Amino acid sequence: MNAWGIRRVGSVTTIRAELRKLPAFMRRDLLIALSYRAAFITDWLSMFAQILMIYFVGRIVSPDAIPEYGGTQATYMEFVAVGITVSSFMGVGLGRVFAAIRQEQVLGTLETLLLTPTALTTVQIGSVVYDLAYVPIRTFIFLGLTSLVFGTTYDWSGLVPAAVVLIAFVPFVWGVGVLAAAWTLTFKRGTGVVGILTSVLTIGSGAYFPLEVIPGWAESIFAWSPVTIALEASRDALLGGAGFLDVLPSILLLIPFAAASLAFGVWTFRLALERERRRGSLGLY
Amino acid sequence: MTSPAAGDPRGPSGAVGEVAPAIEAIGVVRRFRERPALRGVSVHVVPGEIHALLGRNGAGKTTLLRILAGLATPDEGEVRAFGEPGHRPMTRDARAVVGLVPSGDRSFYLRLSGLENLVFFARLYGLRKRRASERAREMLRWVELEDAATRAVGEYSHGMQKRLSVARGLLMEPPILLVDEATHDLDPGAAIRVRDLVTAARDRGTAVIWATQRLDEIRGFADRVTILHEGLVRFEGSVPQLMATTAPTRYVVQLDAAGPGDDRAGAALAGIGRLSASSEGAARLLELEEPGSLGRALAALEAAGFHVRTCREERSEIEAAFLAITGDEPAGGDA
Repeated sequence: MNAWGIRRVGSVTTIRAELRKLPAFMRRDLLIALSYRAAFITDWLSMFAQILMIYFVGRIVSPDAIPEYGGTQATYMEFVAVGITVSSFMGVGLGRVFAAIRQEQVLGTLETLLLTPTALTTVQIGSVVYDLAYVPIRTFIFLGLTSLVFGTTYDWSGLVPAAVVLIAFVPFVWGVGVLAAAWTLTFKRGTGVVGILTSVLTIGSGAYFPLEVIPGWAESIFAWSPVTIALEASRDALLGGAGFLDVLPSILLLIPFAAASLAFGVWTFRLALERERRRGSLGLY
Repeated sequence: MTSPAAGDPRGPSGAVGEVAPAIEAIGVVRRFRERPALRGVSVHVVPGEIHALLGRNGAGKTTLLRILAGLATPDEGEVRAFGEPGHRPMTRDARAVVGLVPSGDRSFYLRLSGLENLVFFARLYGLRKRRASERAREMLRWVELEDAATRAVGEYSHGMQKRLSVARGLLMEPPILLVDEATHDLDPGAAIRVRDLVTAARDRGTAVIWATQRLDEIRGFADRVTILHEGLVRFEGSVPQLMATTAPTRYVVQLDAAGPGDDRAGAALAGIGRLSASSEGAARLLELEEPGSLGRALAALEAAGFHVRTCREERSEIEAAFLAITGDEPAGGDA
């Protein structure tokens, strides 16, 4: 404490002190989410509608068109359900990181946040910490419902390996999301760019159809997409019962992508923030 | 960063008798593209002082506050908090000692209550959950919003949001408080309450920079004044010093039987001034030929059989000084 009764900032900069701030972001976003009751309910209703749609589409798709995982023939619904699971995490990283920064800008709270002695990384993580907790719960319920109501079968022993794959995958999309947030700070509107990026990555990931149906040249490019790598590893684990050692090569492939993406995203965001401070246009949107 | 206690007698040089500035801008230059917003502005504020920053729209007040708060960087010059350079970009150390009350209403989560907003920001300043909640309640009590503590901020009036903003600005008792146009859209009662809160902070030793266009509010409130005009400091001094820069020559007087006797009054004022119709009904505008001759003018009117019921300056000394300094009227007050 100094003479003014203020904690010396040197002690606040520790990682522990910054981590202690994350629950505050979580509580803030939970309270805001609950205040929009209709949106909360419609999110769950849209999930049920999505399940129904996949179910009916699955009825016209021949199982032969779907790859086998661990020697087991997956159904279309099982195939897509895992695709949607990975896409949800991609959505958090890509969509929410940028949307959260945009929202703070529009609300006028971005500058107020940046006036507090809070690390930029804490603001970025804090802005999506609610989604990072909410999406796995939502995904788990999603998988459970498809299993209970429509009889899809997952190899639950693959849940932990799949979770590890997702943990290695999230920093990659996070980095891309932070890059999109930097774009938003600089150019003020980033929806179009993020939309295009999400569509390309979703199409190329094989979330809704096997990659074999797209042209060969595109298939060979998308095979190296971190989204595809994460998705295939997750399917191997959840549909084929692959263990941790089986998905380890995929995890090792994802790590450099994640490190590069995160480092580049954070660096770009800092540059964008510094530019806005220099221009004095941080609060503009 | 070490923040000295209020009234620390050590100056920047360490000499006893001086008071070290809490925050200072030194030769700050800021351009937006090619347009200069600040042209070598230097301002310093000591602990326990309210320093008013006066200026028209576009004078550079908000830009200077944003630079002092670390939200924008100067093109040239520097900002120091307690003698230490804190900007480019402002360090987290410096952010912890500066509170800001922004001019707009858009700085709160409107779906959250006043209490939840303050708790959230208190936690970002590093307070634990329980302490943050206690502190938020203390501040809400202090700004008289405890009855509205659990209401969504979106339901607050302008005045309530401003008070909440002051509460947030002073949440951690920062030694420096920057206030941007806090009263420009408030009714007189709400404006007085906000000023009272800031005065109380000043009395506890906070260094306050109060940017405003409302000239009338600095009398009896601000300790020192800087007038910014087109990005330049045009005046820096105390309020009495500001008022002394101009001598009023225009007064609004109410005279008994003034109407039919204008010619008689004109004759009585020959060589001293002249009387003409004012925009205020029966009142007359008395324009002196020289500053400081009000006594002679009123005596001449009384001698001519007029009873002077009221007499006041057409403009306050502060307003007249401001207009003179910013170039709208020459010093002396003649329009």
